[in-house]
Amino acid sequence: MRKNSIRFEFSLASRFLTENRMQTFLIILGIAIGVSVMVFLSALIDGLQANLIEKTVGRSPHIVISSDENAAAEAVKSLNGNPVLVLDATRKTMRPMVEWRNITAGLTADQRIKTALPVVEGSGLIERGQISRAILLKGFDLNQADRIYNLTGSLVAGSPNLPDGAVLIGKDLAADLGVSVGEPITLELSGRDSLPVVVDGIFDLGVSAINQRWMVMDQRRAAALLGMGDRVNTIEVQVHDVLQADALAAEWSQRLPGLAVESWQESNASLLAGLRSQSSSSYTIQFFVMLAVILGVASVLAISAVQKSKQIGILKAMGIRTGSVSRVFMIQGLVLGTLGTLSGLGLGLLMSKAFIVLAKQDYTLLLKPMTTAIIVLSTIVAAVLAAYLPARQVSQIDPIEVIRNN
Amino acid sequence: MGITRDFGDKVKTRVLFGVDLEIRRGEFTSLIGASGSGKSTLLNIIGALDRPTEGKVIIDGTDLGTLDDDGLALFRNQTMGFIFQSHFLLPQFTVLENVMIPYLIYAGRATPTVKKRALDLLERVGLSHRRDYRANAISGGEQQRAAIARALINQPRMILADEPTGNLDTSNTENVFAMLREINREFKTSFIMVTHDRALAERTDRLLIMRDGQIVEDICHI
Repeated sequence: MRKNSIRFEFSLASRFLTENRMQTFLIILGIAIGVSVMVFLSALIDGLQANLIEKTVGRSPHIVISSDENAAAEAVKSLNGNPVLVLDATRKTMRPMVEWRNITAGLTADQRIKTALPVVEGSGLIERGQISRAILLKGFDLNQADRIYNLTGSLVAGSPNLPDGAVLIGKDLAADLGVSVGEPITLELSGRDSLPVVVDGIFDLGVSAINQRWMVMDQRRAAALLGMGDRVNTIEVQVHDVLQADALAAEWSQRLPGLAVESWQESNASLLAGLRSQSSSSYTIQFFVMLAVILGVASVLAISAVQKSKQIGILKAMGIRTGSVSRVFMIQGLVLGTLGTLSGLGLGLLMSKAFIVLAKQDYTLLLKPMTTAIIVLSTIVAAVLAAYLPARQVSQIDPIEVIRNN
Repeated sequence: MGITRDFGDKVKTRVLFGVDLEIRRGEFTSLIGASGSGKSTLLNIIGALDRPTEGKVIIDGTDLGTLDDDGLALFRNQTMGFIFQSHFLLPQFTVLENVMIPYLIYAGRATPTVKKRALDLLERVGLSHRRDYRANAISGGEQQRAAIARALINQPRMILADEPTGNLDTSNTENVFAMLREINREFKTSFIMVTHDRALAERTDRLLIMRDGQIVEDICHI
């Protein structure tokens, strides 16, 4: 039994589609508009989110590990089994960690973690002449720190070398104090005498709070000045996949009992809630757009089925199988879906480009390949599914009825 | 044999009452009857377009009752040709393509043999010069002739014609009838022609008269 009917089915489908060009054009346009909206919306939302996340965590640590204030002087296990004593702090800031070296090594060994930066910090006061400003003293290893903050790359003046006694300050602070590279300023820390330090470099990290308050110093020197001994206040961690930071933080929190492991997502809960609701609204809109596309295709093909019932009747009389006729309509769905989706993709890209040029926002649109592939595939599948009901309608056409009624 | 056909779910209407009929190979039979006599219904059942409620249809040794819907469709395609009162050509295809459609439905692509056969058939019905015209671009008489050529493309054993000349004027009617007789003689194709035209019917080999769902007269003219 010869069964090579697919070729004829395609031929019939294309003739049916081209017979009524306006109808075909309108439905393809409808699908294209739907797809372009989905593409543009995804790009917009994804771009916004990426931008917001970048602003939030671009130049700050993804995870911050510090001593848990509630764990009093208990013995807790560190990574290699040696007990770690959490000491009471004499200051109100975070209590220092002792086993930070092991912890840092352990963190660095984790493939998902880009950098683990031990940080010594404390508050103090800067004076120059009559002007005094409150500052946050940050002591870390500059090479390591660059991997999070890129201080070296953010210098607007001076050098990043930090020889003994040297500090880096932000451009806003420098402007406030009227100080430039090579000049000394006086540092005052509680419980110590005032200390002259030389400004070796001025940075711009893009965040005014940091540019106004930070004073960067070598880790050992800062620790000595703050009376920390061989301890650090926090370990700042950067991960490869920003969005996985909370999962990673949870995992490490288990492994480091007695320490607080906080991800950026925890510290920015309201931002995340905002991002999530943005995403859900976007998905909701896209769902309804897709629904409209399906209904459009289904109705056009249903009308076509009615219009063509005479021809289908005669084809059945001539021996075409019912399944074959149904397939003709599924093929029409496939062709409409494919053409509509591809044009929609082009249209969506055009809309995105136009938006970028005309709206002049400070973020760019982000078209993720995976998202695009999903939109394209699901629309084509939806169009084929939409053809299912008309296809069934067509399979029920009785050739005798058709012939008789003529 | 013993064909009964009932219609309707709520009110069962019996249209054919135990019709027994035997058609010989190469016979040109006409079927006459008033409206509602059941002649079209009988034709549909013989043509494997409809199934009888009771009774058997055996064509060339095959019992149609043993075939499923797809099997019946294939059987129809291979064994039957249909000519209706309206031509029912597909308007989006050319005359040549329309003639080949019964073949293309299953084969997809026309072999040179089939194409030649189609062209020969068009020649025979006098439509060679219209082969590449869209089906809706030729006259009514020409369309019916194209439909005749289409009915023959798969070299059917039997042709069923339901009022083939119903929409044609006198001269076209003569032409078409002559064509059908010629085909019948040359290819030995059996014909069953339903018609209102008594005069035409008398010129066939056998005349069946139907009334109220039964064959009441069976006249052989040979």
